[in-house]
Amino acid sequence: MHRILIIDDEDDIREVAALSLETVAGWEVMVASSGAQGLIRASSYQPDAILLDVMMPGMDGPATFRELRKNPATAHIPVLLLTAKVQASDRSRFADLGVKAVLVKPFDPLTLSVQVAEVLGWS
Amino acid sequence: MGESPEPALAEAMNRLWAKFLPQLEERVATLEIAASALASGTLSTSGKQEASANAHKLAGVLGTFGLNEGTELAREAEGTYQGDLLSDPGAAERMAEIAAHLRALLASRR
Repeated sequence: MHRILIIDDEDDIREVAALSLETVAGWEVMVASSGAQGLIRASSYQPDAILLDVMMPGMDGPATFRELRKNPATAHIPVLLLTAKVQASDRSRFADLGVKAVLVKPFDPLTLSVQVAEVLGWS
Repeated sequence: MGESPEPALAEAMNRLWAKFLPQLEERVATLEIAASALASGTLSTSGKQEASANAHKLAGVLGTFGLNEGTELAREAEGTYQGDLLSDPGAAERMAEIAAHLRALLASRR
Protein backbone atom coordinates (compact mmCIF):
# COMPACT_ATOMS: atom_id res chain seq x y z
CA MET A 1 0.00 0.00 0.00
CA HIS A 2 1.34 3.41 -0.96
CA ARG A 3 1.61 6.16 1.60
CA ILE A 4 0.83 9.73 0.57
CA LEU A 5 1.19 13.02 2.40
CA ILE A 6 -1.12 15.84 1.29
CA ILE A 7 -0.02 19.36 2.23
CA ASP A 8 -2.74 21.95 1.58
CA ASP A 9 -4.10 24.82 3.67
CA GLU A 10 -7.61 24.46 2.18
CA ASP A 11 -9.51 21.90 4.22
CA ASP A 12 -12.02 21.10 1.47
CA ILE A 13 -9.31 20.24 -1.05
CA ARG A 14 -7.36 18.31 1.59
CA GLU A 15 -10.34 16.19 2.55
CA VAL A 16 -11.48 15.53 -1.02
CA ALA A 17 -7.97 14.51 -2.11
CA ALA A 18 -7.57 12.25 0.91
CA LEU A 19 -10.97 10.69 0.31
CA SER A 20 -10.14 10.12 -3.33
CA LEU A 21 -6.78 8.46 -2.72
CA GLU A 22 -8.10 6.32 0.14
CA THR A 23 -11.38 5.27 -1.47
CA VAL A 24 -10.34 4.81 -5.08
CA ALA A 25 -6.77 3.60 -4.72
CA GLY A 26 -6.79 2.24 -1.18
CA TRP A 27 -3.68 4.22 -0.29
CA GLU A 28 -2.79 5.37 3.19
CA VAL A 29 -3.03 9.15 3.49
CA MET A 30 -1.72 11.65 5.99
CA VAL A 31 -2.50 15.36 5.75
CA ALA A 32 -0.87 18.60 6.81
CA SER A 33 -2.48 22.05 6.73
CA SER A 34 0.66 24.15 6.29
CA GLY A 35 4.13 23.96 4.84
CA ALA A 36 5.71 23.94 8.29
CA GLN A 37 3.49 21.10 9.48
CA GLY A 38 4.15 19.27 6.22
CA LEU A 39 7.91 19.36 6.77
CA ILE A 40 7.53 17.72 10.18
CA ARG A 41 5.07 15.09 8.95
CA ALA A 42 7.13 14.28 5.86
CA SER A 43 10.15 13.61 8.02
CA SER A 44 8.36 11.41 10.55
CA TYR A 45 5.83 9.69 8.28
CA GLN A 46 8.21 9.02 5.39
CA PRO A 47 5.53 8.92 2.68
CA ASP A 48 6.12 7.41 -0.75
CA ALA A 49 5.07 10.72 -2.31
CA ILE A 50 3.85 14.18 -1.37
CA LEU A 51 1.00 16.19 -2.93
CA LEU A 52 1.88 19.81 -2.24
CA ASP A 53 -0.33 22.86 -2.77
CA VAL A 54 1.34 25.89 -4.34
CA MET A 55 -0.51 28.82 -2.79
CA MET A 56 -0.42 28.64 1.00
CA PRO A 57 -0.04 31.41 3.56
CA GLY A 58 3.33 31.56 5.28
CA MET A 59 5.55 28.97 3.66
CA ASP A 60 4.13 28.42 0.18
CA GLY A 61 4.51 25.28 -1.94
CA PRO A 62 7.78 26.17 -3.68
CA ALA A 63 9.38 27.23 -0.37
CA THR A 64 8.16 24.02 1.28
CA PHE A 65 9.58 21.99 -1.60
CA ARG A 66 12.99 23.64 -1.21
CA GLU A 67 13.00 22.85 2.52
CA LEU A 68 12.04 19.23 1.81
CA ARG A 69 15.00 18.96 -0.55
CA LYS A 70 17.42 20.45 1.99
CA ASN A 71 16.57 17.83 4.61
CA PRO A 72 18.31 14.45 4.01
CA ALA A 73 15.32 12.71 5.63
CA THR A 74 12.90 14.04 2.99
CA ALA A 75 15.12 14.93 0.00
CA HIS A 76 14.37 11.64 -1.75
CA ILE A 77 10.56 11.82 -1.54
CA PRO A 78 8.91 12.61 -4.88
CA VAL A 79 6.75 15.73 -4.81
CA LEU A 80 3.78 16.57 -7.04
CA LEU A 81 2.57 20.16 -6.95
CA LEU A 82 -1.15 20.93 -6.93
CA THR A 83 -2.19 24.30 -8.30
CA ALA A 84 -5.27 26.14 -9.50
CA LYS A 85 -3.03 28.28 -11.73
CA VAL A 86 -3.69 27.25 -15.29
CA GLN A 87 -1.39 29.53 -17.27
CA ALA A 88 1.41 27.66 -19.03
CA SER A 89 3.99 30.13 -17.72
CA ASP A 90 3.01 29.37 -14.12
CA ARG A 91 3.08 25.63 -14.66
CA SER A 92 6.44 25.81 -16.43
CA ARG A 93 7.88 27.89 -13.58
CA PHE A 94 6.67 25.33 -11.03
CA ALA A 95 7.96 22.39 -13.09
CA ASP A 96 11.39 24.04 -13.21
CA LEU A 97 11.64 23.68 -9.43
CA GLY A 98 12.38 19.99 -9.92
CA VAL A 99 9.09 18.50 -8.82
CA LYS A 100 7.86 15.26 -10.39
CA ALA A 101 4.75 16.85 -11.87
CA VAL A 102 2.40 19.78 -11.66
CA LEU A 103 -1.25 18.71 -11.29
CA VAL A 104 -4.00 21.22 -11.94
CA LYS A 105 -6.92 21.88 -9.60
CA PRO A 106 -9.74 21.12 -9.84
CA PHE A 107 -8.96 17.43 -10.12
CA ASP A 108 -11.35 14.56 -10.73
CA PRO A 109 -11.61 12.58 -7.47
CA LEU A 110 -12.18 9.42 -9.46
CA THR A 111 -8.92 9.72 -11.40
CA LEU A 112 -6.55 11.63 -9.11
CA SER A 113 -4.85 8.43 -7.97
CA VAL A 114 -4.42 7.34 -11.60
CA GLN A 115 -2.67 10.61 -12.39
CA VAL A 116 -0.38 10.23 -9.40
CA ALA A 117 0.37 6.59 -10.16
CA GLU A 118 1.20 7.36 -13.78
CA VAL A 119 3.63 10.10 -12.84
CA LEU A 120 5.37 7.91 -10.29
CA GLY A 121 5.36 4.74 -12.38
CA TRP A 122 3.20 2.85 -9.91
CA SER A 123 1.28 0.12 -11.68
CA MET B 1 -10.96 -7.05 -8.54
CA GLY B 2 -13.07 -5.46 -5.82
CA GLU B 3 -16.27 -3.48 -6.27
CA SER B 4 -16.17 -0.18 -8.13
CA PRO B 5 -15.30 2.65 -5.76
CA GLU B 6 -17.56 5.03 -7.67
CA PRO B 7 -20.78 4.76 -5.58
CA ALA B 8 -18.92 4.98 -2.29
CA LEU B 9 -16.89 7.91 -3.58
CA ALA B 10 -20.00 9.74 -4.81
CA GLU B 11 -21.73 9.25 -1.48
CA ALA B 12 -18.70 10.48 0.42
CA MET B 13 -18.33 13.45 -1.92
CA ASN B 14 -21.94 14.41 -1.19
CA ARG B 15 -21.16 14.33 2.52
CA LEU B 16 -18.13 16.56 1.99
CA TRP B 17 -20.23 18.90 -0.15
CA ALA B 18 -22.71 19.31 2.69
CA LYS B 19 -19.88 19.85 5.14
CA PHE B 20 -18.11 22.51 3.09
CA LEU B 21 -21.11 24.26 1.53
CA PRO B 22 -21.23 27.00 4.20
CA GLN B 23 -17.56 27.74 3.57
CA LEU B 24 -18.13 27.90 -0.19
CA GLU B 25 -21.11 30.20 0.34
CA GLU B 26 -18.93 32.51 2.43
CA ARG B 27 -16.41 32.67 -0.39
CA VAL B 28 -19.14 33.60 -2.85
CA ALA B 29 -20.38 36.22 -0.38
CA THR B 30 -16.98 37.94 -0.51
CA LEU B 31 -17.35 38.11 -4.30
CA GLU B 32 -20.84 39.61 -3.94
CA ILE B 33 -19.52 42.24 -1.53
CA ALA B 34 -16.57 43.01 -3.81
CA ALA B 35 -18.82 43.37 -6.84
CA SER B 36 -21.07 45.74 -4.92
CA ALA B 37 -18.07 47.79 -3.76
CA LEU B 38 -16.72 47.85 -7.31
CA ALA B 39 -20.03 49.20 -8.58
CA SER B 40 -20.02 51.98 -6.00
CA GLY B 41 -16.35 52.83 -6.54
CA THR B 42 -15.37 51.85 -3.01
CA LEU B 43 -13.45 48.62 -3.62
CA SER B 44 -10.23 48.80 -1.60
CA THR B 45 -6.93 47.11 -2.39
CA SER B 46 -7.49 44.63 0.42
CA GLY B 47 -11.02 44.00 -0.86
CA LYS B 48 -9.59 43.25 -4.30
CA GLN B 49 -7.02 40.88 -2.82
CA GLU B 50 -9.65 39.12 -0.73
CA ALA B 51 -11.94 38.72 -3.74
CA SER B 52 -9.10 37.41 -5.87
CA ALA B 53 -8.02 34.90 -3.20
CA ASN B 54 -11.56 33.63 -2.70
CA ALA B 55 -12.14 33.36 -6.44
CA HIS B 56 -8.91 31.37 -6.69
CA LYS B 57 -10.06 28.96 -4.00
CA LEU B 58 -13.46 28.53 -5.61
CA ALA B 59 -11.81 27.87 -8.98
CA GLY B 60 -9.71 25.15 -7.43
CA VAL B 61 -12.53 23.28 -5.73
CA LEU B 62 -15.83 23.70 -7.59
CA GLY B 63 -14.85 21.47 -10.52
CA THR B 64 -13.83 18.79 -8.07
CA PHE B 65 -17.47 18.67 -7.01
CA GLY B 66 -18.59 18.51 -10.63
CA LEU B 67 -19.26 22.25 -11.04
CA ASN B 68 -16.86 22.93 -13.90
CA GLU B 69 -18.78 26.00 -14.98
CA GLY B 70 -18.21 27.37 -11.49
CA THR B 71 -14.48 26.84 -11.86
CA GLU B 72 -14.46 28.76 -15.16
CA LEU B 73 -16.48 31.65 -13.72
CA ALA B 74 -14.32 31.82 -10.62
CA ARG B 75 -11.17 31.89 -12.78
CA GLU B 76 -12.60 34.82 -14.72
CA ALA B 77 -13.33 36.65 -11.48
CA GLU B 78 -9.85 35.88 -10.14
CA GLY B 79 -8.25 37.27 -13.30
CA THR B 80 -10.36 40.39 -13.18
CA TYR B 81 -9.69 41.17 -9.53
CA GLN B 82 -5.98 40.53 -10.04
CA GLY B 83 -5.57 42.64 -13.13
CA ASP B 84 -6.34 45.97 -14.70
CA LEU B 85 -9.72 44.90 -16.06
CA LEU B 86 -11.45 46.43 -13.06
CA SER B 87 -11.35 49.79 -14.82
CA ASP B 88 -13.40 48.41 -17.71
CA PRO B 89 -16.88 49.96 -17.82
CA GLY B 90 -18.66 46.62 -17.66
CA ALA B 91 -16.46 45.04 -14.98
CA ALA B 92 -18.75 45.74 -12.02
CA GLU B 93 -21.77 44.35 -13.81
CA ARG B 94 -19.86 41.25 -14.95
CA MET B 95 -18.47 40.59 -11.46
CA ALA B 96 -21.99 40.86 -10.02
CA GLU B 97 -23.25 38.45 -12.69
CA ILE B 98 -20.52 35.96 -11.86
CA ALA B 99 -21.19 36.15 -8.13
CA ALA B 100 -24.91 35.60 -8.70
CA HIS B 101 -24.26 32.72 -11.06
CA LEU B 102 -21.89 31.10 -8.57
CA ARG B 103 -24.52 31.46 -5.84
CA ALA B 104 -27.07 29.73 -8.11
CA LEU B 105 -24.63 26.94 -8.96
CA LEU B 106 -24.03 26.22 -5.27
CA ALA B 107 -27.78 26.02 -4.72
CA SER B 108 -28.21 23.73 -7.73
CA ARG B 109 -25.98 21.01 -6.26
CA ARG B 110 -27.79 20.75 -2.95
